[in-house]
Amino acid sequence: MSESSLPLLHSPLHEVHIALGAKMADFGGWEMPIEYPASIGGGVLAEHQAVRNAVGLFDVSHLGKALVVGAGARAFINSCFTNDLDRIAAGEAQYTLCCDESGGVVDDLIQYLRSDEEVFLIPNASNTTEVVRRLQAALPAGITVTNHHLDFAVIAVQGPRSVDVMKDLGLPHELEYMAFVDTTWSAPSGESISLIVCRTGYTGEYGFELLPSSDGALTLWKALSESAAKHGGRPCGLGARDTLRTEMGYPLHGHELSLEISPVQASANWAVGWKKENFWGRSALLVQREAGAKRVLRAITSLDRGIPRAGMELKSPSGDVVGVLTSGTFSPTLKVGIGLALVDANFAVGDHLSLDVRGRVSEVVITKFPLVESHVRS
Amino acid sequence: MSNVPDSLNFTADHEWVEMRGDIARVGITDYAQAALGDIVYVQLPKVGDILEAGKVCGEVESTKSVSDLFSPVSGVVSAVNGDLEGAPESLNADPYGAGWIFEVAGGVVGTTISAGEYRAAIGE
Repeated sequence: MSESSLPLLHSPLHEVHIALGAKMADFGGWEMPIEYPASIGGGVLAEHQAVRNAVGLFDVSHLGKALVVGAGARAFINSCFTNDLDRIAAGEAQYTLCCDESGGVVDDLIQYLRSDEEVFLIPNASNTTEVVRRLQAALPAGITVTNHHLDFAVIAVQGPRSVDVMKDLGLPHELEYMAFVDTTWSAPSGESISLIVCRTGYTGEYGFELLPSSDGALTLWKALSESAAKHGGRPCGLGARDTLRTEMGYPLHGHELSLEISPVQASANWAVGWKKENFWGRSALLVQREAGAKRVLRAITSLDRGIPRAGMELKSPSGDVVGVLTSGTFSPTLKVGIGLALVDANFAVGDHLSLDVRGRVSEVVITKFPLVESHVRS
Repeated sequence: MSNVPDSLNFTADHEWVEMRGDIARVGITDYAQAALGDIVYVQLPKVGDILEAGKVCGEVESTKSVSDLFSPVSGVVSAVNGDLEGAPESLNADPYGAGWIFEVAGGVVGTTISAGEYRAAIGE
């Protein structure tokens, strides 16, 4: 039975999206909202601007959740994934990569360090089963890995007014970037909902990601949504999440990172603990790093009306193919086409290249990351 | 429910045609603009281009994707809506008015369907 023949999974917030008339689509086997209708002020552009200027609420419950527990859990995870868990303290989260032995990226994920005995993982929806499988296959005695994909919702509260929303609900908001806390929220109804509050996100704005238990998700969303509306915010779909992350140059697995695109090529060396003695793919990645990447990840900005799209080729002034787009879209902030591309390493920021837009030539310039100023810290 | 004006003719590719004397004005339907989402770029045909009914004559690009624009009419382009260069969002806001795309004078309209048939085609 192929994966595509399975029925799509639904978020605990599914009924909210249907009631709002959201356009739904398949994200890694989950039926999730792309955007909300223009009739209620939605649409990718409006939702994007809400996050940049006020606050946006995203249902990203399709993201995976897995728990690694037992004596030595931290050390075990640190011997599997690329980033160095010893660089953070309990109560902090870190971006990391799960590589295969050839250095290809099985998934990129966030690891939340609770203690030396407990690490919570958020992999991508479609890679969760594989990440859990690989961990289970390598598991030492005394440690367990459990897939909690359906047990939690994930609600991202992102934007400069996200703090106001957290305050309105009486949720923890004085957290350093990448810190998290396990807490309980008392709903107006008196209902008590356990959740994890993280100072993380995928938009480049100041924000939080909340992981309530699935059965508390609707109550929490309703309260968040009422508060967000008061602060000029709104529900946002995964379409806006993609334009927001592209402006920041954040990689998306399957585009900027994949089994074929290693962290050395994707300029994600910073997410690799090179000094560690062990992690999956270490020997292959060390060889790659020593040799240097032939192509590296770059941001590009269109100099005309062309809109870059994934898969388009970049050519040098002499007409040679020197790169390929991994992501591309229209930037709602900059009002031009932008993209992320793997480009031959001899090209630098400021260099002009031409892009083949379905037979038309569009001029682009290699641009510094991020394309739009990041506000994740303040 | 999409707005499907009874006074217009439609194509299965979601264009509309309005006859103004011997001028055929063309745009995309309300259903199409809603399905595309926020439109950020329109590749217009040029005045003087010779179009063939059913063939690609431009592109409509949203934040998410790009869609071909098919001409419902054969003939020579007599006018294009240059305002769309700076305000492509007109296609979302007013697809049958300010969001018109191009006109063909003295052309021959290809196969079209009525408003009722178009409503049936989009399941409304």
